[in-house]
Amino acid sequence: MNKPFDPAVRDFLDGRIWLRQHTPFLMEKIDEHIKKGMIETIPGVTMKKGTFGQPDCKCARCENEDSHLFTSFHCLRCEGPCAYCRNCLQMGRVSVCTELIIWKGPQSEYPTEHALAWEGTLTKHQKQASEELYESTVKARPHLIHAVCGSGKTEILFEPIHKLLTAGKRVCIAAPRVDVILELEPRLRAAFPSTKLEALYGGADVKAFDAQLILATTHQLYRFRHAFEVIFVDEADAFPYTAEKTLQHAVRKAAKPEAPIHFVTATPSDKLLAEIKKMGAVSTIYRRYHGHPLPEPRTEPLWNYSKQLSKGKLPKALEKWITKRLDQNEPFLVFFHEIELMMKAEKAFRQLDDRIRAVYSAHPDRKQHVQDLRAGTIPGLLTTTILERGITIKNIQVAVVGAEQSIFDSGALVQIGGRVGRNVNHPSGDFVLFHNGISYAMDGARREINRLNSGGEPK
Amino acid sequence: MNPCLLCMKPIKDITSWQSFFGLEKKKTLCDDCSKRFVRADIKEEGDVLDAVHSLYKYDDAMRDWLHQYKFLQDVALAKVFAKELRQSFSNKETIVPIPIHPERARLRTFSHVETLLEEAKRPYIQLLEKTNTGVMGEKSKQERLEMENLFDLVPGASIQPITYRLVDDIYTTGTTLRQAATVLKQAGAARVEAVTLIRSIQK
Repeated sequence: MNKPFDPAVRDFLDGRIWLRQHTPFLMEKIDEHIKKGMIETIPGVTMKKGTFGQPDCKCARCENEDSHLFTSFHCLRCEGPCAYCRNCLQMGRVSVCTELIIWKGPQSEYPTEHALAWEGTLTKHQKQASEELYESTVKARPHLIHAVCGSGKTEILFEPIHKLLTAGKRVCIAAPRVDVILELEPRLRAAFPSTKLEALYGGADVKAFDAQLILATTHQLYRFRHAFEVIFVDEADAFPYTAEKTLQHAVRKAAKPEAPIHFVTATPSDKLLAEIKKMGAVSTIYRRYHGHPLPEPRTEPLWNYSKQLSKGKLPKALEKWITKRLDQNEPFLVFFHEIELMMKAEKAFRQLDDRIRAVYSAHPDRKQHVQDLRAGTIPGLLTTTILERGITIKNIQVAVVGAEQSIFDSGALVQIGGRVGRNVNHPSGDFVLFHNGISYAMDGARREINRLNSGGEPK
Repeated sequence: MNPCLLCMKPIKDITSWQSFFGLEKKKTLCDDCSKRFVRADIKEEGDVLDAVHSLYKYDDAMRDWLHQYKFLQDVALAKVFAKELRQSFSNKETIVPIPIHPERARLRTFSHVETLLEEAKRPYIQLLEKTNTGVMGEKSKQERLEMENLFDLVPGASIQPITYRLVDDIYTTGTTLRQAATVLKQAGAARVEAVTLIRSIQK
């Protein structure tokens, strides 16, 4: 090799932090780049003695420092005490004697010609938010797009992303939920037909490692380091992003040190609002893009539903609701608070229509079932909260069974209701909360929806 | 509080007097994950290998566990079956783990059968060594049955006319265990039994 480096190696590694043993290149090739100083190796886990003599570990890939998430063992490779990180184990184990590699050579250059093929027009509110978002990007300050469900948040991002791409910058849209990424991918591919784009999530078939526009679950960002000039975090208030510090670190680490991180959500937490107000800017949109109000939740008691459902019986009111949807040929989603109850109830639902399916995060066919619902080949889905956000299905009707359960906080209920009436031809629909007693969260959700519909007077 | 080793969710614990006085064993799995593992206790008898006791059947839960333990090298998962494995031995047996080739052990960074026994706090003695680096999981049933001399005695090992208990993670065709038993019996063992964590029944 006479050239200082192989461009394929650069394009793969630039912006990444990767296991030395697991690249798509020959070991000799990697070794050669290391010898030439183009690649730097760093230990996977650093182990120090803590204040009380206990080992303090830190994972260089996911930046986990929680001692509960490290396992110490006697290693037969380094022949001594070793420790590995359990937080990012699924991406290939990283231990003290594992080497990670990062690119040190000249940076990749990205094309500056990109088409924006989206032909819709932004509403006045969207346009303003879009401009404010770009202004914040130029000023390198964080920005929050706080916009109600169905206000066209994704479209707001198009213009700023296009400007960044044509400036030769690498951009990432990250979301905590894989469903959100799956929903975004076709829309962004359609909007940016000439841009190299890749979607990264667990189990994805990745081809374009050197894509300029990356859609990724926040988990996948563990494998990036100083890669992006801007990161947009979509649905930033969703679990597990809010609960896991390492994911927030991962987003920060994946961005270049000075790069701004923007947030997009319909239901920002008070903490996020407070943080952004300190150092950044906020754009707020209260109206849906079609101008119609958000559907208000309707409550209906379903006493002792869990007893009936676990016996495989459908409570009358629920049966009536499903039958009506089937008769009127309206697609529907029924949310459950736990998988077990949902699976017990599935049979009873399928007696009404055998095409009804249930999905949850680990379900092998979940992607397919959602597509089938969108295509109209199945009439409805039972789901856990995995489908509470990000998904758009024309004329969908929504029911929550057990709306009083603590997993349905008011943010979650607002998001669930946000699935309804997103299409301009079907701007409303039924949003019913079946309950065994009304919770504060249910009241809170209704209050928030009313507040937004009335133009968003401050809380 | 330690999270569940498999789903990483916090383990819900009911405060009891035992936990208050620190008498209760720390749980490694949450209730939902431990429910997935159902004891099968399959016992089989044979000629070369006098008896085999397998604790669990090979099912989805076990496949996931084995994958994470052996291939993702999650050493911590050896803790999951420590108690079950410990209780499947009496105190005075001579336990002989099925060895892996040192080169493979170095690549995996740990010896998976020995680590299971160490977590179960059962002393063992390594009397056998692997003669080649082949891996059973990559071979067809026919290839496995035709294999010869997988194991040798460790140099200097002395075999007594007593009962030995072999230990392995998974029992599929039985080639591994039978070959190990043959080596021990030819050297003078009176009886060779085996304990495996998993029994995989091939269709």
